[in-house]
Amino acid sequence: MGEIYPSLTQCALVAGALKILLFPAYKSTDFEVHRNWLAITNSLPLWEWYYEKTSEWTLDYPPFFAYFEWIMSQVAKLVDPAMLRVYNLEYDSWQTVYFQRFTVIITELLLVYALQMFVDSSHGASKRVAQVAAISILLSPGLLIIDHIHFQYNGCMYGILIASLALARKRSTLLWSGLLFAALLCMKHIYLYLAPAYFVFLLRAYCLSPKSTFQIQFLNCLKLGGGIAAIFGTAFGPFALKGQIPQIMSRLFPFSRGLCHAYWAPNIWAIYSFLDRVLIVLAPRIGLSVNSGALQSVTRGLVGDTAFAVLPDITPRTCFALTLIFQIIPLVKLFVQPTWDTFIGAVTLCGYASFLFGWHVHEKAILLVIIPFSLIALKDRRYLGAFRPLAVAGHVSLFPLLFTPAEFPIKTIYTIFWLVLFLITFDRLAPASNHPRFFLFDRFSTLYIAVSIPLILYCSLLHGIVFGKNYEFLPLMFTSSYSAIGVVGSWVGFLVVYFTS
Amino acid sequence: MAGPSSSSHKPRRKLKQASNESYDNTSSPIDRFTRVPSFPLAAFFWPARGSVSQWELLSLILMAAGLFRWAAGLWGYSGFEKPPMFGDYEAQRHWIEITTRLPISQWYFHDLQWWGLDYPPLTAYHSWLCGKIGSLIDPSWFALYKSRGLHDPTLKIFMRATVVVSEYLIYIPAVVVFVRRFSRLNGVSSWSASVALAAILMQPATILIDHVHFQYNTVMLGFAVASMSSMLAERYLWSAVFFVAALGFKQMALYYAFPVFAYLLGSCVSPRINVARFIGIATITVISFAVLVLPFIIGTLQNVKNGISPRPDSQESHHPLPIFEGLTQYLDTKASYYPIVEQLVQMVHRIFPFARGLFEDKVANFWCALNVIIKIQKYPADLLQRGALLATLASTIPPNLILLIRPRKPLLPLAFAATSWGFFLFSYQVHEKSVLLPLMPMTLLLAGSQGLGKETRAWVGFANILGCWTMFPLLQRVDLRVPYTVLTLLWAYFLGLPPTSLSAYFQEGSSSFSQWTTAFIHGSFYLAMGLWHVLELFLRPPPDKPDLWVVANVGVGAAGFSLCYLWCLGRLVLQSDILPRSWVGKKAKAKTH
Repeated sequence: MGEIYPSLTQCALVAGALKILLFPAYKSTDFEVHRNWLAITNSLPLWEWYYEKTSEWTLDYPPFFAYFEWIMSQVAKLVDPAMLRVYNLEYDSWQTVYFQRFTVIITELLLVYALQMFVDSSHGASKRVAQVAAISILLSPGLLIIDHIHFQYNGCMYGILIASLALARKRSTLLWSGLLFAALLCMKHIYLYLAPAYFVFLLRAYCLSPKSTFQIQFLNCLKLGGGIAAIFGTAFGPFALKGQIPQIMSRLFPFSRGLCHAYWAPNIWAIYSFLDRVLIVLAPRIGLSVNSGALQSVTRGLVGDTAFAVLPDITPRTCFALTLIFQIIPLVKLFVQPTWDTFIGAVTLCGYASFLFGWHVHEKAILLVIIPFSLIALKDRRYLGAFRPLAVAGHVSLFPLLFTPAEFPIKTIYTIFWLVLFLITFDRLAPASNHPRFFLFDRFSTLYIAVSIPLILYCSLLHGIVFGKNYEFLPLMFTSSYSAIGVVGSWVGFLVVYFTS
Repeated sequence: MAGPSSSSHKPRRKLKQASNESYDNTSSPIDRFTRVPSFPLAAFFWPARGSVSQWELLSLILMAAGLFRWAAGLWGYSGFEKPPMFGDYEAQRHWIEITTRLPISQWYFHDLQWWGLDYPPLTAYHSWLCGKIGSLIDPSWFALYKSRGLHDPTLKIFMRATVVVSEYLIYIPAVVVFVRRFSRLNGVSSWSASVALAAILMQPATILIDHVHFQYNTVMLGFAVASMSSMLAERYLWSAVFFVAALGFKQMALYYAFPVFAYLLGSCVSPRINVARFIGIATITVISFAVLVLPFIIGTLQNVKNGISPRPDSQESHHPLPIFEGLTQYLDTKASYYPIVEQLVQMVHRIFPFARGLFEDKVANFWCALNVIIKIQKYPADLLQRGALLATLASTIPPNLILLIRPRKPLLPLAFAATSWGFFLFSYQVHEKSVLLPLMPMTLLLAGSQGLGKETRAWVGFANILGCWTMFPLLQRVDLRVPYTVLTLLWAYFLGLPPTSLSAYFQEGSSSFSQWTTAFIHGSFYLAMGLWHVLELFLRPPPDKPDLWVVANVGVGAAGFSLCYLWCLGRLVLQSDILPRSWVGKKAKAKTH
């Protein structure tokens, strides 16, 4: 049926122009983090990478990401060698800014390529739909805000994830899908949250016979196991030789951090904290005891360690258990029905579970849910119904990441632009479902989307006018509670869709 | 395209829309004859053919245009950290300072050495309004004397926001309405009109000058477009009002005065003489001017009553008028009306600096280019002035004569463009930023008949890219290479122009002689521009000719702009049917074969 317009390349070019214009925009400490990693990997021998701590932003990503930084530092040397000095903290000459910003744009080409792979793997009528979904990911406000303003390399890594998900679509490339995902894990360990879905899917679809679960395909097991071992060996081997694995692990999994991240990621714990705050007011009336220690800090919710005043405290163990439970439930279905659509649904649900129940979840992690979900959001109108509140909540919850006035118009207008464009387009393209839609969910999502407008207005404008600099946590709390309701609502909605289709 | 929907609450308007548009057989060749979009901007609108509501499309276009404007505004502005005088940004900021902190009668007199106010009153009122709002946020931004050269980052955001808001209140609504009316007039489909609108709003020159380098040109341009748009709607009185507003904001709008006059007069004469309309237009113009200066008159009278002098720092009680000194022989300098005369004369003196030279900086017009060959500045100033006047008249009379005889709506943008090219090339005291004036009406041609066809696209694109290129020295002085490159290339890419594509010249057969000629001429200019950029980047000019690159830029620019003038004039002649049939037939043949 020929090419579909606009093509991914065309969109990438125009988006690229906007991203270059954003070079002078606000950049968070993550910019310095990555500059420091460039410096560490370039100027120190491998053995010292995970021990170096001149800067407080120590290397806490797995080795493949360190190798990735090392490769980039070879080019950085030619641009401005001063950025590669470990003690040169907070260094941001314009060459450094141009170089680092530019690497984000260049490495994001991997995402463009992966999305094209995904589009090419769809056929017939679904190709057009796949193209729209691919463009929606490419132009995602999440990636724009996090990568191109706030500064990170998610575009590149989600590119690898999507390539892996696209490869899982064909039996012949299943092995590569698994290996690519293993490599991704060695780049950024946040993707461990999605690993259970991969494990179950590869086990059922690749390692066991399609006919019976009791026939093991030994050759496939060998290929997959050997491949994964080789990849992990390449990544961690050099460090293992020197016995540095415990040190790396302590860097990768810092359990000393609090339940909620600096801002509140919109998950169950945000709702929990919100309830706790409400209960502080109500507790004396209904005879509950209030933990006075927790009341002391006014900035509660802004600092890392959260103590609850009324509700019981949450331990990492609880979080872990809850995450696992809600991951296993969808995986059962995946094991029974190992189709690609179910697999993507299961990946999405694993993302949901980890985001909603995880310990110290960062709001950026919402992309773990949105991006896989986008691939199947257009399957039919019921999927779309669950996707819509997520799209709104997920992106609105990223707004507190950028708090400088100059970037305010960019983040809001871009997000509204994306929501208007894609929610309308999705609405046109999504076919009707053969199941009845479920009760009132559409009404809920419309109402929910409508509430976002006064909320954004209040948080960005009215609050400042009414309270000035006081009660700064209020807008954050409202944003995250609002977003949490949306994410939880869409999760429940999607669970129903997942299990009934 | 739209799947059958299962939810019952979905609005049904889509179907109606679809039936409206799918039988629209007036659509441009792009969506009728080809299956593939012929340039990338059309590709972006490809899914919107047919069933998409115009309001959705419009809101998306406006949001995207706003995003690029704001993002471009994150870069530096003219005069950023460039003491002692800073630049246009400081001028605008300083005018806010003057208008909000000083009595009105001192506005045109206050410390003229430091960016004295030299724009017409509407600019002053606009500055005053911006200042009133800005002072609510932080009064120190505009503190008298103390705020000079201030480059507070929040102030920058505020100033950028005033440009964007002013543009979205004036220029953008005017362009949206104009494009709608003009495309309907020419029988262009609403889809093509949306594509044209996006192209017009993404025009790099205006974004670079207003939102990056910093100025409020779009306000003036917006009033001028509104004036044209009212002509299309046959609201002649409104047209006059808007045009006075444009003039009242920036005297540069005089470039358009000739065609506005010609068209309005023409519409009073043909098809039949309409005296009432003529009197109406004349009256409303006079009234508009009166309203424009009224605050000054009232303010001055009040200041006189309260004993506030326009020159508080001067001890003398009597000052000669800066120009028209002869007036004092007829006027009583002690009379109560004299301060008003003094105010108005000073205003005219500030707005029209006759005392300056033929050109100030290097600008890509005829005189500056000629200066490279013959050092014309050695000739006496009044001879040059007379020469400039004659050349300007010679170049602008033909298009306006045509418009006067044939006051037809579809000719408007062409006549505006040809006249303003004439002014730009030959008149006195031209600034390189003035190229925005001819570019605006020329770019509006994209919304006309065959506007997105190859020929118009090639020429409009050529003019715009050349225009940006001639402003490069200006932008480069304040390190704006990156936004220049990005915005210019992006626009070239959108419209399928060199250096990104040759599709505006060669596509789908029909490579006629004229097409090859255009391609050859434009191609050599594009090559020259590219080569110039390479040279400028890697080679220093020889020490005895430090301005070599700028001079080369000026020469190439002037030659290219002359071609644009000729093209606009040629098109105007052809479309006005003013030539004898047999003549046109031959010419048209040569054009299409």
